[in-house]
Amino acid sequence: MPEARRLEALAERLRAVDPIAPSPGAKIRGWNLVLAGVTQSATRRPRVSVTRLVLAAAAAGVLLVAGALAASADSLPDSALYPLKGAWEHVRGTLAFSPSDKLAFHLELSQTRLAEAEAMIARHRIDLAGRALDALDNELDDAAQLVQTAKQNDLAAAADMESRLRQAIATHELQLSGLQGQVTNPTALDAISRARDRAVAALQAAEKGPNGKNGNPSPSPNDGRSSGGEPATSPHPTPKH
Amino acid sequence: MRDLGKAPSEDDRPLIERVRKGDQDAARTLYERYFDRIYNYVYARLGRVEDAEDLAIDTMTRSLTRLDLFQDQGVGFSSWVYRIAHNATIDHYRRSGKVTLVPLENAILPQTVDPAEVALEQLSNEDLRAALRDLTDEQQQVLILRFFQDLTAAQVADIMGKSVGAVQALQHRALGSLERALQGRAAN
Repeated sequence: MPEARRLEALAERLRAVDPIAPSPGAKIRGWNLVLAGVTQSATRRPRVSVTRLVLAAAAAGVLLVAGALAASADSLPDSALYPLKGAWEHVRGTLAFSPSDKLAFHLELSQTRLAEAEAMIARHRIDLAGRALDALDNELDDAAQLVQTAKQNDLAAAADMESRLRQAIATHELQLSGLQGQVTNPTALDAISRARDRAVAALQAAEKGPNGKNGNPSPSPNDGRSSGGEPATSPHPTPKH
Repeated sequence: MRDLGKAPSEDDRPLIERVRKGDQDAARTLYERYFDRIYNYVYARLGRVEDAEDLAIDTMTRSLTRLDLFQDQGVGFSSWVYRIAHNATIDHYRRSGKVTLVPLENAILPQTVDPAEVALEQLSNEDLRAALRDLTDEQQQVLILRFFQDLTAAQVADIMGKSVGAVQALQHRALGSLERALQGRAAN
């Protein structure tokens, strides 16, 4: 007999094997156990997957942070979200690698600080406005330092960076002088005046070469002062009140 | 005529949901649907009534009281129950120290009996069951599920985690091994 037919006959013989009936006692015993277990498991709290919980918490955290970061982008120094804005700026700063990118980053932050100072003065938060102006000048100092360093490595790039810094400081100078004409608070006036001085000093530092030499004789944004020397008088006199 | 109750089907799903909520009638329906099948499956594997009863009870208790562990993702409830029964059987083998058998297609068997001489109609059901237990674990599983439990190749593939083609090939080899096992028994 061919193998296929033999195996088919064997399969048919297996199909003909009658099932064995379990004893009624075993079936009842099993059902009693199942019944007790079903009742008990229905009253148990459903198991919550730890993995799902962790993933849900992580997703919620990401959404929360992303939402807070987005909301903090336009926050002002008197806002609860303002520290988050600073933290995010710090992160962004670490992602700027080339000197040119770093300069752009510091100039952008200096403009942001100036806008904050204006807003704080408008809200009569002179203390916060003073801090914003200090921060503005710190950004300009950092920018000037970048220009100085660039002069040691790439004169063409340094010239471009210095030009951008000068342009930014000129813009600031216009805004600060306008602001100075609008305020009457002596503390605010003093802070603005100090900020203007520091901005000019930052530009002068950038114009000097890495060894303190004047690397670029181009004029500073303020009229009435030389590019390499200190002004004989204050370049932005405080308006009389 | 084989009577193992209603075959495993898609309509297990609403019953499972009801059991999860503590519905005892739904649990009873599923218990009645599967207990005899599982008992027969385990008995065919072990050959001892007492052990088969204990393992069938254990399988059904685990299946219906731990539904929180069952997730209907590609594997049906019936496959899940059979897998529990299979694992319980393997655990039983381990506890009793039974050694895994060498696949019979590789074994040297006496050739004194002509295959045609194995008179199938003269074999008792117990002879067949006993010869079946000489096969490898997978061979036993596929023959029991296909011919004792009347499951389709697709259902067996789902239970065993194999493709339908692999199940059909395994079934063919298993029948060949069973035939040789019966020849060996006839020769002795």
